[in-house]
Amino acid sequence: MRFRWPDREWWRQAPSRLSRQWRRSLQLRTVTITLALTGVAILVTGIYMALSISNDLYQSRLDQALRDSSRATTAAQTTMNASDVSSADGGRNLLNSALQSVQTSTSSRLVAAYRVPGQDTSVLAPPDRGSPALNSVISDALRAKVQSGGTQQFYQSVALPGVSGATDPGIVVGTQLTLPSYGRYELYIGYNLRDSENTLLFVQNTLLIAGLALIVLIGAITWVIVRFVVEPIRVAARTSERLAAGDLAVRIPERGEDVFATLARSFNGMADSLQSQINQLATLSQLQQRFVSDVSHELRTPLTTIRLAGDVIYDQRATFPPATERTAELLHTQVERFDRLLSDLLEISRYDAGSVVLDPEPTNLVRLSEDVIDELRSISEQNGSPLTLDAPGGYFDVGMDPRRIRRVVRNLIGNAIEHGEGRPVVVTVDSNETAVALTVRDYGIGMSHQDVNHVFDRFWRADPSRKRTLGGTGLGLAISLEDATLHSGWLQVWSMPGQGSCFRLTLPRVPGREIVASPLPLPPADAGELPEGVPTGDGALPVTESEARA
Amino acid sequence: MTSRILVVDDDTALAEMIGIVLRTEGFDPVFCEDGAQAVETFHAAKPDLVLLDLMLPGLDGIEVCSRIRAESGTPIIMLTAKSDTADVVKGLESGADDYMVKPFNPKELVARIRTRLRPAASNPPSEQLRIGDLVVDVAGHEVRRGEQRIALTPLEFDLLLALASKPQQVFTREMLLEQVWGYHYKADTRLVNVHVQRLRAKVEQDPDNPKIVMTVRGVGYRAGAAT
Repeated sequence: MRFRWPDREWWRQAPSRLSRQWRRSLQLRTVTITLALTGVAILVTGIYMALSISNDLYQSRLDQALRDSSRATTAAQTTMNASDVSSADGGRNLLNSALQSVQTSTSSRLVAAYRVPGQDTSVLAPPDRGSPALNSVISDALRAKVQSGGTQQFYQSVALPGVSGATDPGIVVGTQLTLPSYGRYELYIGYNLRDSENTLLFVQNTLLIAGLALIVLIGAITWVIVRFVVEPIRVAARTSERLAAGDLAVRIPERGEDVFATLARSFNGMADSLQSQINQLATLSQLQQRFVSDVSHELRTPLTTIRLAGDVIYDQRATFPPATERTAELLHTQVERFDRLLSDLLEISRYDAGSVVLDPEPTNLVRLSEDVIDELRSISEQNGSPLTLDAPGGYFDVGMDPRRIRRVVRNLIGNAIEHGEGRPVVVTVDSNETAVALTVRDYGIGMSHQDVNHVFDRFWRADPSRKRTLGGTGLGLAISLEDATLHSGWLQVWSMPGQGSCFRLTLPRVPGREIVASPLPLPPADAGELPEGVPTGDGALPVTESEARA
Repeated sequence: MTSRILVVDDDTALAEMIGIVLRTEGFDPVFCEDGAQAVETFHAAKPDLVLLDLMLPGLDGIEVCSRIRAESGTPIIMLTAKSDTADVVKGLESGADDYMVKPFNPKELVARIRTRLRPAASNPPSEQLRIGDLVVDVAGHEVRRGEQRIALTPLEFDLLLALASKPQQVFTREMLLEQVWGYHYKADTRLVNVHVQRLRAKVEQDPDNPKIVMTVRGVGYRAGAAT
């Protein structure tokens, strides 16, 4: 895949993508939460450690500085006390040597001495000596304390000028030094804490790096652990999805004796029982279909005998007394009806068993309709319903099973004649790019919305009290719907009480190809002429049962 | 002369009833209940036509059909309780001329029997017809390629004769069903397909590249030009 630089759209969608990921990934959530919590803990610990280390470090340095300075001062004082000079040069030398000794013993170059103000000004007294680095940083407050504190030690944290303009942290310790016969001097010793500062920085860096490394490590560990835990759950989820999709043979591998093994065992137990029950049901359903099919077949041979016998008797009915003659007629018609019922039952059982195979041939739907209309013309004339064909299109061969489609068309026209109340029945055939369609429109009593919903049900009758002139079996439309569905076609109906009905069969032009739209409208074009007081919405909707099933 | 009809059916009631119908129509029925004895009975009775149930004890109806067909062109009409595609086609391919799905009515049965028994092409346009490199001797009920005689069943002969008698015409399957099988309404066009295949297997030199019975795509069949 080519790498695509994330564009604005990508960024715009990033939050929603992230939130989706957050909701969907248990792993991401767990790792993130763990990281956040450990991060806070490590931060708190780190800050505490850094503070206490810096504190300790400073304190120990301070203690050291104070000890150091006290020792140095004492040593210098002792040296000065032992000397006996009173000249100006001697005083200067004395102070110099004292400062020298302080410098040597403290290893600090930052030493300053100021004459405590308020003493007799003596020309002999040596002048102030100070390092320029100290002069600027010693505060007046410190000096005041030292001036009034005697030999007590005082200190102050200062910023000492370091190399190349930077400042180093430092401590200035101040005390009084007494030069015999010259007076008291303030002695300041500066300690540069750069080393300690460096140590502290190093420790802090180490803490930071260790903390970050710890967070990354904990994140990785959590990720691995969560992966361990989540993986079996993921497997279980995937397996149940496949099971739900109908793959009844899937199982979760059972490993070990932990909680996941228990989950796997109980899941597999559930799948086992599900599988066995579904198989049992399937077997039962197969047995039932098989039974219906077998019964129908077994009935056929005796029915053939009965039919032959009935016909032989029927042919001789003229020689019988009237009651016997009528009996022969009834026998004849009812055997025929029984025959049709059995055929339809067998056909439906074949559909239920899924053993129906389409046998398509190039067929012209207009010619086929003409044939059926010719066949049914005598019946339609008996019922007084003129039967007309209107075919603006559809004059080409389409792959369909002509026996089945002929049966559907015959059935639709037969129904229309039966319920047409002697009014015209119009058959229309038309085609478009994707489909050919046939509608059968009658102007009979029509059906209520409720009835329309049941029209494709088996053995359902619109009006049980109505006389059946054509002797339908009650399975005709159910079989027609199956036939249409088998062709990947539609069989739909529109009907309104008092307006008649319109059945529409739509078949794909190329077998198996999807139908985009039917070439003929449903409700029919003339359905708009509604009698007053009839609501247009209710009952006028086409039942799209075959679409829903296809 | 009454035609003798062999009824092979294991259901005695149905066989007897068919017998009654056939006798009423002036036929002479002979019965056989067992598939295993059917061929034997066929030899003994020498019937003019066989009514054969597909489901038989002993020997399967389809097997009986192909055994009879292997030695004789006697018309065979199958009786079947199943109209499923596979069964019917299997029966036709094993050599049956026609089939009837139970339950059938007696008139239809008799009509089919008569069609199969009638003398072929009552008014032949001429004594000899030529189709492809074949000579059809109408009166002698014979088809020859050169000196070689080709054995056809009466039905196959009728089919070939129907095509040869109008060499310019394209026959739809429905036309052939009406002319050869005597159906006056829409029937199963598989009858035609299967029998055209059987006929081609006998008369064509290369059945995959037919020269005698030509297919006209989307319409039907016509005779090959005489050579």
